[in-house]
Amino acid sequence: MTSGTPQVWDPVVLARVRHLHLRARHVADSLLMGAHRSRRVGQAIEFADYQEYLPGMDLRGLDWRVWGRTDRLVVKRYETETELPSTIVLDLSADLSTGAEGSGGYPDLDKTKAGFAICLAATLLFWLHRHHEPVGLEIIAGQGAPFSSLPPRGGRNHLQLLFLMLASVKPGGQASLQQALLRVGERTKRRSLVAVISDGMEEPSSWLPSLAAFSRRGADLRFLHLFDPGEWSMRFNAPTLFFSPEGGDAIPVDPVGAQAAFGEVVDEYVTEVRGGVVKWGGQYLQVSSGAPMVDAVRRVVLGAASDSVTAWRAGASRSGR
Amino acid sequence: MSLSLLAPLALGLSLLAALPILAHLSRQTPRDRQAFGAMLLVERVVKRLRRRRRLKDPWLLLLRVLAVLALVLAASGLEFKWPGGVPEHGGSGRVVLVIDRSMSMQQVDGGVTLFGRARDEALSLVRVLPDGVLIGLVVFDDGAERLTPTLSADRQRVIAQLEGLSASWGRSDLQAGLSEARKLLGGEPGEVLLYSDEAGPTMVASARDELRRLLDAGAAVLPRLSLPVSPRNVAIQRATYGDGAEGGELTLRVANFGQTSIEVPCEVTLPDGQVITVFASLPPEGEAEQRVTIPREALGGVGEARCDDPDLPADDVRYFHLPRVGASRVLLVDGDPGHTPTRSEVYFLERALAPWGTGRGGVAIDITTPTGLMALDPEVHRVVFLANVSDPRPFGPALVDFVRRGGSVVVSAGSNVSPERYQAALAGLLPAPPRQVRALSDSGEEGVAVVVPQADHPSLEPFRRAGRGGFARVRAKRVLTFDAFSNTDEVTTILSLEGGLPFMVERRVGLGRAIWFTSTLDIGWSNFPLQAVYMPLMQRLVGWLGGEAAEEAARFDGLVGQPVSLDLPELDVDPIVRDGAGQLVASRVEGSTLRFTPTRPGAYALAFGDAPPTAWVAVNVDPVESDVRRPLAVEAVERDLAPELFRQTADLSRPLLAAAFALLLLQGLLATRRSS
Repeated sequence: MTSGTPQVWDPVVLARVRHLHLRARHVADSLLMGAHRSRRVGQAIEFADYQEYLPGMDLRGLDWRVWGRTDRLVVKRYETETELPSTIVLDLSADLSTGAEGSGGYPDLDKTKAGFAICLAATLLFWLHRHHEPVGLEIIAGQGAPFSSLPPRGGRNHLQLLFLMLASVKPGGQASLQQALLRVGERTKRRSLVAVISDGMEEPSSWLPSLAAFSRRGADLRFLHLFDPGEWSMRFNAPTLFFSPEGGDAIPVDPVGAQAAFGEVVDEYVTEVRGGVVKWGGQYLQVSSGAPMVDAVRRVVLGAASDSVTAWRAGASRSGR
Repeated sequence: MSLSLLAPLALGLSLLAALPILAHLSRQTPRDRQAFGAMLLVERVVKRLRRRRRLKDPWLLLLRVLAVLALVLAASGLEFKWPGGVPEHGGSGRVVLVIDRSMSMQQVDGGVTLFGRARDEALSLVRVLPDGVLIGLVVFDDGAERLTPTLSADRQRVIAQLEGLSASWGRSDLQAGLSEARKLLGGEPGEVLLYSDEAGPTMVASARDELRRLLDAGAAVLPRLSLPVSPRNVAIQRATYGDGAEGGELTLRVANFGQTSIEVPCEVTLPDGQVITVFASLPPEGEAEQRVTIPREALGGVGEARCDDPDLPADDVRYFHLPRVGASRVLLVDGDPGHTPTRSEVYFLERALAPWGTGRGGVAIDITTPTGLMALDPEVHRVVFLANVSDPRPFGPALVDFVRRGGSVVVSAGSNVSPERYQAALAGLLPAPPRQVRALSDSGEEGVAVVVPQADHPSLEPFRRAGRGGFARVRAKRVLTFDAFSNTDEVTTILSLEGGLPFMVERRVGLGRAIWFTSTLDIGWSNFPLQAVYMPLMQRLVGWLGGEAAEEAARFDGLVGQPVSLDLPELDVDPIVRDGAGQLVASRVEGSTLRFTPTRPGAYALAFGDAPPTAWVAVNVDPVESDVRRPLAVEAVERDLAPELFRQTADLSRPLLAAAFALLLLQGLLATRRSS
């Protein structure tokens, strides 16, 4: 994220990604106006041309400015697009709270994984909303939000609610990714876009199969693997007693002696998660909380085909942590 | 083997070994705490590291603990002790050399005797001893002798004495040798260097107490063994001539002390020079008995049995006593050959003296006429029977001389006996002047019985236990009477008739005897030859009279190195003792006993003047000394009595310190490597 006053959404980011297209991997037959072109021309979202009003047409389509200028009653004709309901699944378990604490106990949007995740989710929601996609939000774990789940809808008010959820939630508790993904997956009723933002810090073999709930429904699953480069590189100088904010036993580790082994473990873990996501029909994207937000959104929007194991290393080295 | 600690209290420092353990434990609990959002990865890393650290950390911990323990043990003065060999001499400055010169040391090994080897080693030692070392010298065989009265630093004197030493034929009295060594040390510590083969079944065992005394006094007995490569020896342990009829057997008991069977030739040399060769087959470490048949005629004396073996020649010969075989060769002068056998003394004497014929042993009787007495040779005939000889005057002096020189005469009466001629010829042999022939009973009567004797006389020895009653059946019808006489030192009435007339009388003359039978030895005047007592009495007479002059010539046995005592007969001539080579041997007379100590084996003869030997002494080496095996070692006894003397000790403090230093270096390197 750019430095400065923490914002729920970054207009600079929106301006930059305004020109980008969200390319859907699947063509959906939907009657609702969306960003993707449909085979049928129906009620459009974008102006295409005028049509002489005929009795029976929807009066909402009358262009009153044209009547004022020309005394002609015309109806606007728009390009027909397929709706792509988009749901952001946001993992806000306590593990994401490591780092500095912001004011009011809310996660610092710049220095915590949770803050980065919230910003990322908001940016994606706003971008999708601007493209008239119905957007929804599922928060896994976390506490303090008025809602933990809002299904995809359009409208500005809906977006405000979503932003409200994001602005008010604090990380906490355990994600229980397996149950959460299964639950969200069951609610995904038709082709949609699902972006899961999570650090994946639960045994992968327990929750990866749950991703099948999305692919069974034809959802375009994007798994955004969020990581803190400092954590994944174990850059500590002295023997330390590490503990999880989610609870459990503290484990003493000598980081100096564990450096090499830690790198091997991370490689194996990333390979395992990526392989599982791909296997269950999703797209794997690594997102470093130390990387610029625009890059992360672009990669999400463009649907980067692959994120190799070494991507996190490069991200970690760029972040300088 | 054992370990001991010189400073056991230092083991308390072993608590320091807990320090590395505590350090390792404390290292695992860091103080810094860090909230971490990727604990899944931390758990996986820890699992991986734990597999590796199982190998690394324990090794490091072990090195540190071992280093501490090594330091602790070094501080506690750990010593390692293990059984060692014979300690080297030196240190006390007081050395006594004890040299074994017994017969077994004459064993030949590799061309040299064990004694020679031992002496050379002792000489070499004395020459290299440091200046100022006090040296003593003791030799032992049957006893022990201090060649140096005290310990002295005069090395040259000891060397001279050693060079003059030679082995003996004596036994091995190790106890005496060690006792003299202890006296030389005067109860002070020192080293006793024992040069010996330690051979013999009891040599070392009998010296155990003396060894203990030396060890208690702080001395050390250091064996310097002189051993053959393989102990071997063949020796005659016993040579015994069997009793019984002449021409008997000599039994040799031959022993083999080697570990392989062997067959050796043995030679028996009789006193007259006859040599008989036999072969003895001997099992390993066993004995065999060899019987040697002695010819029917052999001179008496000391014979020699020899079984040669190259290992220990000193005991190859065994001397034995041989009585005159066939020496009871009897000459019978039949003055009245009968027309029938029963009227002849020859017939009855032959039946009595050779009942199974002379071919089966027994006494060989030569029969001659009175003229055969002119060439009487006591070396050929020891006993002469004059049976009813009418006129002994031609050979009277020869006969008297024959008796004086050790021969024996048995005279029986008869119708030809003339008192006057016998008195004229044989007065020197008669118990009393003969008077007349007297009839004791009428014809048809049995005659006068012989009184049953007490059998005290040597000639009646066979009748001491039983059979005397048979004399009562002897009845004489006619006897030759003598003037009255009484028993003296020279004259003894052996048998008498009822009524007091003598029947058998003994007259001792010079070295010989004359036995007078007042009746005939055939059935002419008595029934004597027909009685049961006749045969044993005649055999006993011949054996007693025909031996080596019986009580006048004795047979003795002796051992080399051991004093021999001989009772002397009452003679006015000084006795002399000669060895087997005819050399005079030093002797002394104490009262009526002569004593001398033979120094080598052989046939020693006691004689008076130029007379033939009065006594023979067969001197042999002690058969125990021929056993060259070594059943018990001095070293083994010392180990039992003073095991600490043979323990070797190593102080492990320095090696442990070095090990601790090395371990500390190693653990430092390992820890540094892990940190990097």
